[in-house]
Amino acid sequence: MIIRRIRNQFFKELEQFQRDRLGLALAFILPVIALLIIGLAIRLEAKNLSLVVRDLDQTSLSRSYIERLYATNLFVPAQWQGERFPDALDRDQAQVQVTIPPGFSADVDAGKTGNVQVVIDGSDVINARVIKLAIDGTTLSVLQERLGKPSETLGVVAQVRLWFNPGRQESLFIVPGSYGVILAIFPPLLIAIALVREKEQGTILQLYASSLSAFELLVGKSLAYIAVGLGEALILFIVGWLFFGVGFVGDPSPLFVGTPVFMLAGVQLGLIIGIFTTTQSAAVQAIGTIKVLTAFLLAGFLFPLSSVPFPFSIFSYFVPVRYYIELCRDVFVRGSGWFGTWHLIVAMLVLGIAEFGLAWWGMRRMQLSS
Amino acid sequence: MPQILAHASFPEKADRTLSTPVQEIATIAIRKLYKHYGTTSALRGIDLEVQQGELFGLIGPDGAGKTTAFNILGGVMEATAGNALILGLPARDARNYIGYLTQQFSLYPDLSVEENINYSAGLRLVPEDQIEARRTKYLTLMQLDRFRDRLAGRLSGGMRQKLALCCALISEPRVLLLDEPTTGVDTIARREFWDILASLTAQDITIVVATPDLDEAERCDRVALMYDGQIQQIGTPAQLKADLGLQRLVIRTSALFKTEQALLTLVQTGELADVSTLGDRIEVLTPDAQLGKKQVRDRLAQADLDCDRIQPEVATLENVFTTLLRRQGSVPQSLPFPRSPPESAITPASTIAIAARDLNRHFGNFHAVVDLNLDIHYGEVYGLLGANGAGKTTTIKMLCGLLPISSGTMAIAGETGDLRSPALRQRMGYMSQKFTLYDDLTILENLQFYSGVYGIPPRQQREKIRWVLAICGLEGQEHLLTRQLPGGWKQRVAFGASVMHEPEILFLDEPTSGVDVLARQQFWQLINDFARNGTAILVTTHYMNEAEQCNRMCFMVAGRKVAEGSASEIKAAQPGQLFELRVAQLQASYDRLRQHWEPWRVSIFGDRLHIVLDHSNQELPQVESLLQSANLPLLDTQSLPFSLEDAFIGEVQRAGGAPP
Repeated sequence: MIIRRIRNQFFKELEQFQRDRLGLALAFILPVIALLIIGLAIRLEAKNLSLVVRDLDQTSLSRSYIERLYATNLFVPAQWQGERFPDALDRDQAQVQVTIPPGFSADVDAGKTGNVQVVIDGSDVINARVIKLAIDGTTLSVLQERLGKPSETLGVVAQVRLWFNPGRQESLFIVPGSYGVILAIFPPLLIAIALVREKEQGTILQLYASSLSAFELLVGKSLAYIAVGLGEALILFIVGWLFFGVGFVGDPSPLFVGTPVFMLAGVQLGLIIGIFTTTQSAAVQAIGTIKVLTAFLLAGFLFPLSSVPFPFSIFSYFVPVRYYIELCRDVFVRGSGWFGTWHLIVAMLVLGIAEFGLAWWGMRRMQLSS
Repeated sequence: MPQILAHASFPEKADRTLSTPVQEIATIAIRKLYKHYGTTSALRGIDLEVQQGELFGLIGPDGAGKTTAFNILGGVMEATAGNALILGLPARDARNYIGYLTQQFSLYPDLSVEENINYSAGLRLVPEDQIEARRTKYLTLMQLDRFRDRLAGRLSGGMRQKLALCCALISEPRVLLLDEPTTGVDTIARREFWDILASLTAQDITIVVATPDLDEAERCDRVALMYDGQIQQIGTPAQLKADLGLQRLVIRTSALFKTEQALLTLVQTGELADVSTLGDRIEVLTPDAQLGKKQVRDRLAQADLDCDRIQPEVATLENVFTTLLRRQGSVPQSLPFPRSPPESAITPASTIAIAARDLNRHFGNFHAVVDLNLDIHYGEVYGLLGANGAGKTTTIKMLCGLLPISSGTMAIAGETGDLRSPALRQRMGYMSQKFTLYDDLTILENLQFYSGVYGIPPRQQREKIRWVLAICGLEGQEHLLTRQLPGGWKQRVAFGASVMHEPEILFLDEPTSGVDVLARQQFWQLINDFARNGTAILVTTHYMNEAEQCNRMCFMVAGRKVAEGSASEIKAAQPGQLFELRVAQLQASYDRLRQHWEPWRVSIFGDRLHIVLDHSNQELPQVESLLQSANLPLLDTQSLPFSLEDAFIGEVQRAGGAPP
């Protein structure tokens, strides 16, 4: 009996869903567009920072110093046409300006302290740090070379190797993470709209007037939108593979188990919001705000979770996306298999069941509230 | 259809909460039912019993508590106190034996007819091997079989309600709860819907139905009048009319307004119970027909007024209803509209406000309006009547310049050229059934907004807004959000908003759809008041008793005008005669007669049959012999005057029927 009603609910949701063009677009077209935009537009690594150099020394040392700066591949030369030198920063023509004073080369050769003035635009904190490190490094290596102190004499030599992503290919970092963000937003949005629409159109009364239980209703609806979400995930994985070259590394089976579990958890939040709102616009806004904020900020998509400050870091444990992003990064980049991922799936399952419990509690009466 | 009963599942013994056997319990038993929402009480102690197989009508103004009662009976809402038992079970436990049609259409518009039915069947656990048979049976009964694959959202109002009934019937319930099922359904479809209800009660299904249309209520076995959360009166329509103790006199005269004014003095002295103008005639309620007739004649002679004819007729349910409400003191008063000084008013050059010649409109291959000719005078209320899709709304939209015409000519207020010019639009008013007030603004803000839209001088603005609030009975509540108002009240505010600029020509497109009788009557007082002051009014409506209020009207079928004239003229022009038959076996006689005559000619009205015969001399004996040969006794035959609804259905059927 229960199975039949759940099945009945499931197929009705899918029938409705495939007739709803807006829903289809929300489920399959917008996520792909979002993936392309996120994958192509987000660049965390600093590149093409504009640099202005005023070389007042005009010696071979100053010229080789400038050459080394550009050799970092970090900077591009910027045009400066101002009267006063600081203009370049003020007018946002450059992010950093370097002045090599007259006598720089002579001072260095004489073993005195050579002065180089570096002014960095600190309004972009992240890039400022990158620029500072690059210039520090360049300066040190130029000096070492000139003064002939081989680096071996420093005692410790760090042999650095990048694992998993040796070419520091950015798409390998962004794309798997964006799977998590996108799948965290759209399926809950669809199910919340589907539930609130029943209230708006008054069809929910027919459900109340039958002896359908909250459990049957919620399970039927959830399964339908979990199925829709899985279809969406599949499309995203294919686009990510074809377009960004992000494919499976090692055993993909944790993803096949983890994705439905993650859908379960995500869709429940959609149901909860659908239950406690009465209009579609309210539901969409609620989902938008909650999901976008948590997926971008509390799930480790762009910023490492370890840098989230204390009270917020607790919240991040209740955000299923954080586990799913980690799972995706493992399956598509690291490839450690079940060994490194099983706990993520368990965490999502626990959250999903807890959310279902909350949704059921909100819906349990299956009656109009007074 | 005995199989309905064979398949219907009865409550198991263990389920019963009462030890009394089922046959001694009324199908529906309500005791001291209360429902409070916060501090307001929607139901204040209702007691009611409905017997098996009864067609029970619930009528009352908006906000009387009907929907609350339905929600409790349907098991979707908890009562504050008291109990409602259905088949001896608390309503919530009896949900499997109930079919509930909510007021708002509660099917999925994006699912097809068949998918909706399948979903309902699954919801109510109809055995899978029976679904197909039942679906075919009910779709055939509702004549929806051809439309199985059509999306519910694309069905007409009447078809939607029939589909909703199908979905409710698929689980073969023993009780049907129908909350205003015919709102937005046209006359023809409505008559058909009620025929279906009558045939269902013949299969021992118990039906409780709410309706804002008192003509429909006449077809119920028993009726309860609800007001202010209580049942005020209960009985068969005949009993209620008899208990009213008043007779109706219909007065025909050319000087309607003066006659009404003269007779109103008799109401003040208490000699007459009520006087009202109804289209081309005046109706008077009096305790005694003979005495009343004499009083009216004396008073008219005294006032030097003529009258053509005074005819006594039986009171209607509407009389019962409004008299009751008037005694409750709940009829809002009417106030004169604050008109701007006469010098600003434009005196029309001609008496014809709207003239249309050979008006046509195509939508692709579809011919929505065909060669329509109309002449509507200033000071006239003209009704445009037709089934859904007959072209009424298209016509009205063309006349107010919202829709370009395909061919033909028209003159609005003497203007033939630019019908969209701001100057002309300023002289017209348009209110549609969907006239939108902003739900999230207060009433006052809405009125201020519309007075700004219509360019009302700031000096008059306050006065007019005060008038709108007064006629709506909303003084002191103007800061309520519009969404908090019940439908009927909203409609009144909308009407007020659309006439604030004193239009010369007023278009009303189904202005009273879903509005209760009381509000509708008051609405018509306002409309008549505007007409008396020279406004030309074109109105479309589904309600035939409302159409009676129009001075002149036309019937439209498939875009063509098929009849025109005053209500009396149209009724008089009907061929044939209407007969009321009293029979011993209602349903069997009905089925028998329907096999022989076209279905629209025969319908069930409460415990009587109505039949329209074109050649009564030959056909009446035929009716008798048909019934006799099937061993169905015919107790009594009586000739009745045509109602406007009968006339309408006759005209439509003779013109080729309504489109599906």
